Amino acid sequence: MPRAQLDEMQLERLQTTCELAYEHAPLIRERWDEAKVKPSDIKTVDDFRERVPFIDKDAIREFREARGDPFGGLLCLPIADLTGINSTSGTTGNPTLTAERWGEDPRRPNAMARDLWHMGGRPGDYFSVILFTFRGPFYTLPLTLGMTPVIYDYDVHEVERLMRQSLRYRPTLLYNLGGVLISTVADVAARTGLDPKDCFASYRGIVWAGEPLGTRARTLAELWGLPLYQHSTAGDASPCFECSERDGMHVWEDTALVEGIDPHAYDHRDATPVTARRERCELVATALSDFVAPLVRYRSDDLVQLDREPCPCGRTHVRLWTVGRKGDEVVVDGQSVMPIDVWSAVEEVEPCRLGLFQIVRPRRELDVLRLRVGYDDVGDDRLGALADEIRAVVSAAVGIEPEVELVRNEVLLRQGPPHKIPRVTKT
Amino acid sequence: MTAATASTEALWGVGTFVGPDAKVQPWEISNAEIGRDMGAATRVLEHFGVGPGNRVMLCSMLTEAGQFWPFVVGVLMSGAQISFTDATESDGARVALFTRLLDYRLVLGVNDAILDGLDERGVAYDVAFGRIGVVAARPGAYERLEAAGLAPYRLVVCGPVVAIGRGAGEPATYDASEWELTARNGQVHVTSKQPRATEFRDTPTVIRGTVDGDRILPEAVKP
Repeated sequence: MPRAQLDEMQLERLQTTCELAYEHAPLIRERWDEAKVKPSDIKTVDDFRERVPFIDKDAIREFREARGDPFGGLLCLPIADLTGINSTSGTTGNPTLTAERWGEDPRRPNAMARDLWHMGGRPGDYFSVILFTFRGPFYTLPLTLGMTPVIYDYDVHEVERLMRQSLRYRPTLLYNLGGVLISTVADVAARTGLDPKDCFASYRGIVWAGEPLGTRARTLAELWGLPLYQHSTAGDASPCFECSERDGMHVWEDTALVEGIDPHAYDHRDATPVTARRERCELVATALSDFVAPLVRYRSDDLVQLDREPCPCGRTHVRLWTVGRKGDEVVVDGQSVMPIDVWSAVEEVEPCRLGLFQIVRPRRELDVLRLRVGYDDVGDDRLGALADEIRAVVSAAVGIEPEVELVRNEVLLRQGPPHKIPRVTKT
Repeated sequence: MTAATASTEALWGVGTFVGPDAKVQPWEISNAEIGRDMGAATRVLEHFGVGPGNRVMLCSMLTEAGQFWPFVVGVLMSGAQISFTDATESDGARVALFTRLLDYRLVLGVNDAILDGLDERGVAYDVAFGRIGVVAARPGAYERLEAAGLAPYRLVVCGPVVAIGRGAGEPATYDASEWELTARNGQVHVTSKQPRATEFRDTPTVIRGTVDGDRILPEAVKP
């Protein structure tokens, strides 16, 4: 869609969303009244950027606890009109509830279906689904596309079954093969003699999401020829997926308005827009096709890079790269460290190849970098040497020698939702 | 005997069932049998008064989709609302959050892992489940809830079959028009009575207990 047409559509949908949310969502109305702005003031997208206050996850949780409103002041329908009430992963704290109204709605495009079609999923194909249940029954998506789901739990113990059944059913799409599972494929292959190249040869698209992929997982995927596509969300307002160019994830801009701001902004009044291509910024998102509980100017805490130039794939929709979460950063002796900075170092140590670790972050500024690292296949007599090895590789990677606490992989995997684990922890 | 693929009819999906020795087996399910199972699930939900204005929580794993999808559709068709949690220790927190913020008419599938998650967070079972109309718990969790002074209903996932007690403390009832369960040396076996994409012929399951007609009483698990 030409950019000008897309901009026009966005403004129309933005105004509709603002009217709906201001009229029905008490958190939005309170914030807007405090900021002395009304939907009728929003004549352009620039008006929206300049005048509309942010909300964030803390504001939603605080509203929920203070007012006894399970939906944190976002619900725009009578609660009786909902079909489902689910929840976010809760990796960064308590989950927040998601209000859902299932069924056809011509105003609400199925954005994920567009991406799965782009990857090559077609009616009659098998679709491997590896997931959890708490966001709802994901297997309905393949059913909607006329595909047949082959269902697995998101669990390392399911990987051998996935590999064997992929040989049997020859699926074309897979969702979701994260780094821990990719590393486990290598272990299963070594143990059973199954060849990952054969097992995954039928797939046209393999989606990974939830956590970054470390160097080890990327190298393995490349070795086996896995057609990987990254997936995330634009601040929970809308999904985003890589296209076949694999150069950033597209947000469908008929479903979300995406902004980048200076991460250090206090509120909307001093929030400098970041407009330079691929400059690091904090993602702010507004849902444009959610008529149940739309997020409006939702400050995500996600550090991203954005690019609004047309993609070589032909799409004009913005591309997004994830950098990390603002709340995950620690500053040790003045040096910023994010989980991604130590990821590849940890997983290059063989007993830690699943890349399971946490940064212990009682506060942002620290004197010492403390890591809790998962391991496997090591006797107690070798743990001292293992900790030394981890200290050395992390020190080489980030220039800071960490304190290392070792725990068995299972201890960290149990903390997951399960496709990701909390990468920072207070204790 | 083991389960065997019997039909090339259009599949709804490939789920799983747990066989003897806790081994996970693939389970091919046709659209036709899902449709029949929806009818049975709807009758169970009606028995529990599920309908407009109330709410159901389903605690299960994704691989149990074949067993529980008919209940999901039944809830939606009844006009009630549904919430999902995994049947895992980490989702004990999610169960606690849902039951603190919302009222539920029926919670299906509570298991040991969820109760372990509640224990870890110091959430008492009566705080989590005391306001809920019916809590249908799996073996192990059933005994723990009962020991805590609650009055749970039994829920047993017996291979491909979901059996649920019709009253607190009663054996779990299954759809005898579709399935026949038998117990031999304490182990429950399952046979499908209607055409299915995967036929079950005296297929052993991981469940131990006794069977009387359409009712199954799983072996008690000491809390």
